[in-house]
Amino acid sequence: MISYIIKRILLMIPTFVVISMIIFVVLNLAPGDPSARAAADGTETVSQDAQEAYRLFQQQFNLDKPILFNTRFSLSTEDVEEKVLILANFQRPICLDEEALEALEEAEEIAEEAELAPDMAPDGEGPVGEEAELLELAAEADPEEEDCTPLAERPSSGEIINAQETLTNWGNYTVPQLLTLAKEHERADVRHLAVNQLSTNARRPMLALSDPDPPPEIREQNREIARENSTLRRWQLPMDAEEEAVEEMLRENWLPWYEEHAQRFEFSTADKVGIFFLDTRFAKYWENLLKLDFGLSTNDRRPVMDTILDRLPYTMTLGFLAILLAYLIAVPLGIWSAYNQNTKRDQFVTVILFMLYSLPSFFTAVLLLEFFAVGRPFTWFPTGGFIGEEARGMPLLTQMVSASWHLILPVICLTYGSLAALSRYARTGILDVIRADYIRTARAKGLSESMVILKHAVRNGMIPILTLMGSILPFLVSGSLVIEYIFNIPGIGLYLYQSIFMYDYNAIMGCLLISTVMTLVGLLLSDISYAIVDPRITFD
Amino acid sequence: MTSQQDDNQTAADDYQTYGEIVWGQFKKYRISYWSLYGVAALFVLAMVSPVLAMNIPFYLYVPEGVGPETLQGTSYPWFVALFDQNFFDSGVDIFFNFLLFFLPFAFLTWFVTNKVGNPAEADPSDPPIGFFAGVGILLAAFFVVVVLLNGLLSKEVALALVGIGITAVVVRAATEKTDERGRRRLFIALATVVGTIGFAIIYYHGFRQPFVDYQALVELDDGVRAIFPPIEYSYRDVNLLATSEPPSWQHWLGTDAIGRDVFTRILYGTRISLTIGVVAVGIYATIGIILGSLAGYFGGRVDALILRLIEIMMCFPVIFLLLTIAGFIEEASVFHIMLIIGLTGWTGIARLVRGEFLRLRNQDFVQAAVALGFNEMRIIFRHVMPNAIQPVYVAATFGIAGAILIEATLAFLGVGPPDIPSWGQILTAGRSTQNMTMILASGFAIFLVISLLNLIGEGLRDATDPKLRK
Repeated sequence: MISYIIKRILLMIPTFVVISMIIFVVLNLAPGDPSARAAADGTETVSQDAQEAYRLFQQQFNLDKPILFNTRFSLSTEDVEEKVLILANFQRPICLDEEALEALEEAEEIAEEAELAPDMAPDGEGPVGEEAELLELAAEADPEEEDCTPLAERPSSGEIINAQETLTNWGNYTVPQLLTLAKEHERADVRHLAVNQLSTNARRPMLALSDPDPPPEIREQNREIARENSTLRRWQLPMDAEEEAVEEMLRENWLPWYEEHAQRFEFSTADKVGIFFLDTRFAKYWENLLKLDFGLSTNDRRPVMDTILDRLPYTMTLGFLAILLAYLIAVPLGIWSAYNQNTKRDQFVTVILFMLYSLPSFFTAVLLLEFFAVGRPFTWFPTGGFIGEEARGMPLLTQMVSASWHLILPVICLTYGSLAALSRYARTGILDVIRADYIRTARAKGLSESMVILKHAVRNGMIPILTLMGSILPFLVSGSLVIEYIFNIPGIGLYLYQSIFMYDYNAIMGCLLISTVMTLVGLLLSDISYAIVDPRITFD
Repeated sequence: MTSQQDDNQTAADDYQTYGEIVWGQFKKYRISYWSLYGVAALFVLAMVSPVLAMNIPFYLYVPEGVGPETLQGTSYPWFVALFDQNFFDSGVDIFFNFLLFFLPFAFLTWFVTNKVGNPAEADPSDPPIGFFAGVGILLAAFFVVVVLLNGLLSKEVALALVGIGITAVVVRAATEKTDERGRRRLFIALATVVGTIGFAIIYYHGFRQPFVDYQALVELDDGVRAIFPPIEYSYRDVNLLATSEPPSWQHWLGTDAIGRDVFTRILYGTRISLTIGVVAVGIYATIGIILGSLAGYFGGRVDALILRLIEIMMCFPVIFLLLTIAGFIEEASVFHIMLIIGLTGWTGIARLVRGEFLRLRNQDFVQAAVALGFNEMRIIFRHVMPNAIQPVYVAATFGIAGAILIEATLAFLGVGPPDIPSWGQILTAGRSTQNMTMILASGFAIFLVISLLNLIGEGLRDATDPKLRK
């Protein structure tokens, strides 16, 4: 028995590993960017501060790292140049060559048409998107200018955002390459951009970001890093700076700084292997997981684990009460209908339970709320929550009364659906044993009927229903999501629901992992209880 | 010699196939039997909902000088609008509209080719009446398509459709299968192929036409004649002059917050619910059957691997997983919801099929097939699968009910397209606007479908259980 349990627990480990991998894949491959959601107003981040906040956010939640493998130490100057060129090309005016003139004419035509007949234009707008942009750019363009981007090479806005983000995410790894660009590139504007990018990329991330209370030595290091970062941050130039100023900035500040810290950007083979596997989102995810730390919520910046532990009791109470009630009603009902097998009464109860089973719980919940809580016609029960405001801080008994008052409707909604299946199992269980020889023997030797049923029939007939315990546990966790949502009970389900709509990855991950662990444990418990109830079952 | 052998093998008169036995048993469960009719009625209702409720007239006559020029004269806008992807923006609707045309013709063709000119009974020297009748029906179909759907399909597409139909009739008439069961199976297969090709042509043809307000046209009353469906609303038409109305003779179940007729929406919601149930279960039954049969047949490592996979999938609370995936899809459509339910729900069926395969693998007929040197694909699909599949039907029936419930729950939680007339969405909308009629009507619709399907599943389970044979 013990060896069986140990075996089961060991088997749970690979299962759990795969589950956490699936969760990682789902969360990382899913479209939708949590940091885009985090920008409060949803507008494009243009200001320097907003960009900085965005970068810090990415860093804090490891979103700047590659997903599986990190090959950033092998980036060449050409790779970096490509990205910087995109940004540089975007900031130059368009060349007024033939192609551009044609496009311009077309855009003007569209604009005129739109003015002539505003109803006919799609969506009633004027010149849309690109055309409007082109018109503006052309108005600024100076035909004499030599430094210009041909229309065909003008990067699209997607490319620009992508280039900017990739460059920033490459972070420390691209410092030498950016420096080379800043020193040697033949275009002045590229040199300028490289210097500015350098002042972002050279900054180092803080240590132990998710730890709210770091040890003193780390705090000291962080202070050091912050000091350096703020210096580096100042070493950039406004857009209209002269070429000489760029040269000077490079000579005065960046080259000496790089001389001093060059060893930071040289990687040995061992370093490279470490970076390749460990400086990735996947590795960080596992690191956190092993520490049982799901990170901070991107929403309220609290550790996810704390929130989950706060909320778990609510879900567990609800689930436990619902299971208890379901068994308390279903088992006697099942025994009763086994005794009245195939009578009208039996069929009536079966049909009623079956209809309850087909009734969606959210529908019932909404109806119960309307009838008994909202005040059409009754206001007997509170409309939601786990416990009343007035009962907080009161003696335990008052709190319990208030909580049970709040929980009556939710527990009813969670319970009734499982009655049909449970009582069916109980009924079949009893019917299977009631014709067995040992029951006849028990009767023949003169035992009282209640003794026969309770001691002999029920104990053997209830085995199938016990196995259901394990499969009911996840049902109660997930079933309670809808109920928690409707009755506003602050459990795990509601937390997951809110996190999904906030794109709060860490919280979603935490909720999914906790619920799967609960399911795994539930399955194990049901197997063990199986063996305890039925002495015939051994697991050797 | 051959015919002699055939005679010897002909079954006794009271021989029943397994399907016939189950059907006979099933009929004895009266509630389940009637539930089957109930679901069939719902299916028909879903199919004919444009006949009942649509704001486009079957027949329109506009005299000269009234309204836009393109509409003048006699036209049949309803028939054309059925395939108009501006009017019905969902593929589900186009599909049911297609069935509305296709199924009657399919039944008629079956009836005519089978009953009028049964190739088995016909004298070879007689002219093949069934064949001619089948071709006649298809020509009539061609006529209907060209006249009623004028402007919808180019003549070539219509010809191609009829060509496929005639080929089907020819193949069907030329086959010499004598027993009715074989012919029925062949015909169903043919009709499915023809229907799928026809639907694909119509759907990818992408027919669209500009919007015309026919009701306003009729109200002009300058000799405009029109016959509308009995309920003159479409499920999408917003009417801001009649928002949140209580039930009345105009609006049987009132209107919602932006003036859409609730009854019409619930009627069209039947289509979405049934489609979601069937498609989602179709997807997961396929996955489950394939994985389950592999696990059960090969055993050993394959079995261990697939069992582990099942265990992992079962650890996720379904709603949590679904909500997470669905929440991340931007603008999830109904088809996304079906796909998600389909990809996550296969574990139950896989376990069932695995169990059946384990049981059957060592039986004599499988051993015989192995001894005859058949390859594994053939043994799995031709020998074991037909015997292992029957518990899947029961699970699938319950599964359809489950999928409909899951979709309604997701819609209730605000996942999925908010504008489609799905019952869950209607309930949510009713709850957010405190509209009791909407809550009750949609909730009852969900309850009705789920309990009908569950009752069928219950009856089917008892009917397939030899211990409970009546």
